[in-house]
Amino acid sequence: MKALQIAASGMMAQELNVEVISNNVANMRTTGFKRQRADFQDLLYQNLRRPGASTSDTGTIVPTGIQIGGGVKTAATPRVMSQGNILMTEKDLDVAIRGDGFFRVQLPDGRTAYTRDGSFERDALGQIVTVDGYIIEPGITIPEDARAVSINSEGLVQAFVATDAEPVDLGQIDLARFVNPAGLEAMGDNLFLETPSSGAEQVGVAGTEGFGMLQQGYLEQANVNSVSEISDLIAAQRAYEMNSRVISAADEMMQSTSSLR
Amino acid sequence: MIDNTILVALSRQVALRRQMDVIANNLANVETGGFKASDILFEEHMMPVAEATSALPADHDVSFVIDTATLTDYSPGPNQQTGNPLDVAIDGEGWFAIETAAGERYTRNGGFLLDPEGNLVTVNGDKVLGDGGPITFDESDGAISIAPDGTISTEAGDKGRLRVVAFADENALESVGSNLYAADEQPQDAENARVRQGMLEGSNVRPIVEITRMIEVTRAYTSMSSMLQNIDDMRRDAIGVLAVVQ
Repeated sequence: MKALQIAASGMMAQELNVEVISNNVANMRTTGFKRQRADFQDLLYQNLRRPGASTSDTGTIVPTGIQIGGGVKTAATPRVMSQGNILMTEKDLDVAIRGDGFFRVQLPDGRTAYTRDGSFERDALGQIVTVDGYIIEPGITIPEDARAVSINSEGLVQAFVATDAEPVDLGQIDLARFVNPAGLEAMGDNLFLETPSSGAEQVGVAGTEGFGMLQQGYLEQANVNSVSEISDLIAAQRAYEMNSRVISAADEMMQSTSSLR
Repeated sequence: MIDNTILVALSRQVALRRQMDVIANNLANVETGGFKASDILFEEHMMPVAEATSALPADHDVSFVIDTATLTDYSPGPNQQTGNPLDVAIDGEGWFAIETAAGERYTRNGGFLLDPEGNLVTVNGDKVLGDGGPITFDESDGAISIAPDGTISTEAGDKGRLRVVAFADENALESVGSNLYAADEQPQDAENARVRQGMLEGSNVRPIVEITRMIEVTRAYTSMSSMLQNIDDMRRDAIGVLAVVQ
């Protein structure tokens, strides 16, 4: 009886679905978080009677055969890279990206990671870093005597130093884009890594050729929609229950067979 | 010796187990995008018995049950809004054409992605076909918008049109797993197909129908089992009574 294994595959798929949904809900308030979705596919079919097989010498054929499916599998958990809400924070090193693009972060091991989380800080040396202390490429140092820092929509960082009325240019925050941002590998800590499936990074300036614009004093919220997550959760839970009902029904059938003698 | 009653009951039980497998597969795929529910069809199978028609009354024909086909319900599933620009649902009839290693395949699941080369692909990495072959995007393309007639346009211009096809007889389609279907016949272009960007077609499995069928199957199976038990009891009694040597 395949029904047991088929229903078990359904329960496992729904379990994973609930895991994905709970991770989305857990990260509802995570800056720059992008929600994931579980995509399912049906498994291979067993052809007990193949459609199109001939049924007589006069050329009649089986119009629809007997195909019994083998259950369900999880095909992918792609990330939905839609724009999250922009929240005003009034902190001068909070930067949100409106549109396409990622900030480039230099990891301690020398690799480059990518993030949409623009809640930057200043470290002991005055460099602009992430909350984990990783340097934002290309590495911008704010002078000690800076009164205020301004970041314009193209990513140009300027500082008002000492008593000067004119701001000083400190550098330019780069953005990176990918052909397939959904193919980036999440490494936790709001960071993503480049993979063969995401394609190579294209570095550019915010506000040009498809790159999004920067907004100082704002942060991008997670793109998790609580209503749709909860309704997905209800659907997943019910689907799980239905599959468990199939298991108990199949069990009942087998029990009635085994009680024959 | 096994008499016909047992064999007929057995044929029903084998068929019911198959039906249970089909129901289990439908319920396992209740959340699979673009999945089409199937049902199994049964037929009465007349057994050509060695009839002694000269005797009166004549022998009765024995009919068994046989499963002849699984019938797929190709009605559309509910469309769910996702907001993802690469999610496309077909409104009404039609299938997306997909290029796989095994040849052209068809799907109703429009949850597409981009691969590293910028091709529009399914989650398995198979290319989605447009009117002029695979659809490719590059870095200079910004936001992607898909019109109801399937035309894909970006900031850098038109990228072709999604190929949506229709079949004269959808029952001839064979499901090959991974939400894909194979066809022997050449499909025609679906003239009136409308696609909706940012939507995904869900599974068309109706859980209430499946659960009801499942209860039916379980009960029918149990009653067949108890009938087998009765036949067995009857025979044991007969042997017990008849075999007593006075």
